[in-house]
Amino acid sequence: MSMEEVFHPMQEPMILAAAISIVVGAVVIVAGLTYFKKWGYFYKNWLSTVDHKKIGIMYIATALLMLFRGGIDALLMRAQTAVPDNGLLDAQHYNEIFTTHGLLMILFMAMPFVIGLMNIVIPLQIGARDVAFPRLNAVSFWLFAAGCGLLNLSFIIGGSPDAGWTAYFPLAGTEFSPTVGNNYYSLALQLSGIGTLMTGVNFIATIIKMRAPGMTLMKMPMFTWSILITNIIIVFAFPVLTVALALMMLDRQFGTQFFAMQNGGMDMLWANLFWVWGHPEVYIVILPAFGIFSEIIATFARKNLYGYKSMVMSMVVISLLSFLVWAHHFYTMGHGVMVNSVFSITTMAIAVPTGVKIFNWLLTMRHGKIQFTTPMLYALGFIPIFTIGGVTGVMLAMASADYQYHNTMFLVAHFHYVLIPGTVFGVLAGYHYWWPKMFGFRLNEKLGKTAFWFIAVCFNVTFFPLFILGLDGYARRMYTYSESTGYGPLNMLSFIGGLGLAVGFALIVYNIYYSWKHMPRNEKADVWDGRTLEWATHSPVPEYNFAVVPTVTRLDEYWFAKKEGRDITAGKIEKIHMPNNTGTPFWMSGFFFLAAFFAVFNLWVPAIISMIGVFGFMIHRSFEKDHGRYISVEEVMATEKSLRGDK
Amino acid sequence: MKIDSSLPLEYSTEENRLKIFGFWIFLGAEIVLFATLFTVYFTLQTRTGSGPNGAEIFELTPVLWETFLLLTSSFTIGLGVHAMRIGNKKAMMAFFIITLLLGLGFLGIEIDEFVTYVEEGATIQTSAFLSALMTLLGTHGLHVTFGFFWGVAILIQVASRGLNPQTANKAFIFSLYWHFLDVVWIFIFSFVYLKGLIS
Amino acid sequence: MKELFPKQHVMGFGFSLLLTVVALAVIKFDMSLNMAFAVLLVTALAQATVQLVLFMHIGESEDKKTLYTTILYSVFVGVVTIIGTLFAMIWGYN
Repeated sequence: MSMEEVFHPMQEPMILAAAISIVVGAVVIVAGLTYFKKWGYFYKNWLSTVDHKKIGIMYIATALLMLFRGGIDALLMRAQTAVPDNGLLDAQHYNEIFTTHGLLMILFMAMPFVIGLMNIVIPLQIGARDVAFPRLNAVSFWLFAAGCGLLNLSFIIGGSPDAGWTAYFPLAGTEFSPTVGNNYYSLALQLSGIGTLMTGVNFIATIIKMRAPGMTLMKMPMFTWSILITNIIIVFAFPVLTVALALMMLDRQFGTQFFAMQNGGMDMLWANLFWVWGHPEVYIVILPAFGIFSEIIATFARKNLYGYKSMVMSMVVISLLSFLVWAHHFYTMGHGVMVNSVFSITTMAIAVPTGVKIFNWLLTMRHGKIQFTTPMLYALGFIPIFTIGGVTGVMLAMASADYQYHNTMFLVAHFHYVLIPGTVFGVLAGYHYWWPKMFGFRLNEKLGKTAFWFIAVCFNVTFFPLFILGLDGYARRMYTYSESTGYGPLNMLSFIGGLGLAVGFALIVYNIYYSWKHMPRNEKADVWDGRTLEWATHSPVPEYNFAVVPTVTRLDEYWFAKKEGRDITAGKIEKIHMPNNTGTPFWMSGFFFLAAFFAVFNLWVPAIISMIGVFGFMIHRSFEKDHGRYISVEEVMATEKSLRGDK
Repeated sequence: MKIDSSLPLEYSTEENRLKIFGFWIFLGAEIVLFATLFTVYFTLQTRTGSGPNGAEIFELTPVLWETFLLLTSSFTIGLGVHAMRIGNKKAMMAFFIITLLLGLGFLGIEIDEFVTYVEEGATIQTSAFLSALMTLLGTHGLHVTFGFFWGVAILIQVASRGLNPQTANKAFIFSLYWHFLDVVWIFIFSFVYLKGLIS
Repeated sequence: MKELFPKQHVMGFGFSLLLTVVALAVIKFDMSLNMAFAVLLVTALAQATVQLVLFMHIGESEDKKTLYTTILYSVFVGVVTIIGTLFAMIWGYN
């Protein structure tokens, strides 16, 4: 690839502006860190941290940044399609934008937000001091960041992927996508996918092996259960993606014939493999949201969660069924009736356990004392709006009917109606709910509620018209349409809704600034009068989480301890073993990033050299003798004393 | 670190038990990874384009040697772990070295196999069948190669630091990995080579 | 010297070699494709079990239930992926 081809995209004004702002932004950050002499602090406390709470914060900060970028992509798409025959974006740009929007929102916004929340909360909810493998946890984050950085770089160097976030062959092959865009796809997703797989292993080990004494599986909080099931799905689904992406890379860059149109290749095999991973993936992003809603609804209805056992069973069933439904993503691909029938049945079946959960949430609220806090508003909004998404899913599940809906805006509306009221509302609710635990002050309620109303109402204004447009025949991924189709007015309505959504999300970000400036700092640790163990420790949480690991005798132990006037954290303080920070995950991921970047451009010698660097760090890690350190009893007592002032 | 001396060294600390547990979960993921590669192979195995099919290129003798070498290496590493458990560091290291040498032998035959295929005009680019075959075999081979270097690193640590909870734990986890690679090979032997050689 | 070669291991190794030889039957003898497939599946699964139980000691720790569940789940996903793909991509095509 010539330098001209690599940098040609910069002749476009938008891309040039992006490139300049990235460079300027990087220079500002580097200059600022140098001027304020904060490099040491930054490296010691963030780049080399193995603390699950800090790692969680970094995940969420990245997710918010990607929400911003993915959101701009969305606004551009809505603006382009707001009027017929619009010239704002040409077809190529539109393709790059919807591809980037999908990739960013699912893999670099929803996933890190969910993984960030699980990082922060799970060890606290189970009464543990850290995750099972803290250094591996850091590797997970930095590999994710490397993949995220790589994909974002594609916009200014070489061009973004443009074959949809699903990258179907033969379109995604070199014949029809000759630029490096889809190389970025296979390599960036591979990097972050490995990180996610590591997270799966880490959190299963953490939840199974590191719970507080007395906390049996059926006494765990529901969020912990949802995360356990989510990580089980991750461990068994992500390897399929690993293989699919590797085959994609081999086809595009090594001339193999997996998905080729000649020499025996089978292009539809890509779609099949992608969705074997892809369907479990959507359950990976929704189950944590279900867990969050379980916590929030129980807390703010002042009642225990209804139907604990059926909640657990439903998630176990969902996890198994999620591996049995994938072909519903390509009913129209041309295989026979038997295949479509089998997958229709399994797909309709998977709606049942989710329905069980909805009823359990409603029954939890019945006879409860509802507190309309921001997190609770998201939960209350979720139930009806997500249900619309769910029932349209059952409509789509019927293969024969799907021939009408497939790849129209009806489908686009369906999945936004489950992803946004489901995952996005869930992570926003969790973010508001656990923010005081992390930072010791609350987010402003008024701003939070205003943002919620903008988002909840404008979401429906944006996406409901798409159901109607889809049934009218408006296909997805089309950069424009003619006036005679009559699609104009509803698209304009959708665009206006999108602007409202943007206001809502901007308010959420503004809330961070406003609250940091104005909200009182000495909030009590148990700010919502919660039920689960994380509320038993201080806000912000000390490095070691709990000075004394609580003993648990029943579900919602903390809630009952409060009722009975018991201090669940009372006990003898002993010295605490903590892992040391290490820069290896950061540097190793840096070399991985370089290797992937060179591979995108078929620069194999530098890529191999970078991989040798990766292996070098692995060997270094193998010979590592650092076994952590002890925090002395005196130090723990001193920390506890200073933090108890906040309680 | 609390050491439970009633358990074998590799299980004797809580951190050790955690690491063994975590590695088993990872092996679960690896099972799915290889299952996916098998999926691709089974789907594409008849799609030979203008190239040869399995029966035309597979040779039983080298495959039997590969199988014997890997199976024996699985046996010797099992003996190595047993020697480790009865505290015989010398025997453990001897068995581990034999294991790695057998693995190297396996790799040698496999590389020769690939070179032969290429010389016969059957390359990874020739057809979907060959792409799938060589990716499945190659992924397994790369795993063995990675394992070889990992094994060497562990041997160096055992030699210089002796048998302690940390080195025993690493050696045991490595043995799990090595056994797993043999399990994968059993399926490759059966469902790629033997099935392919049926007329 | 004898203590270096525990009985379980030696017998496991011998059994594995035997199973390998039995698997060879599918090409040495004439049999239907279904029969051959069955022989290969049984011998491969038997060898895998020998490895898991005798060599990898899957049942020796307090976590054995979880470990068995993990292997079962992964085999479930693996088999569904293989059979489901063959069903959707080949057998299910008209």
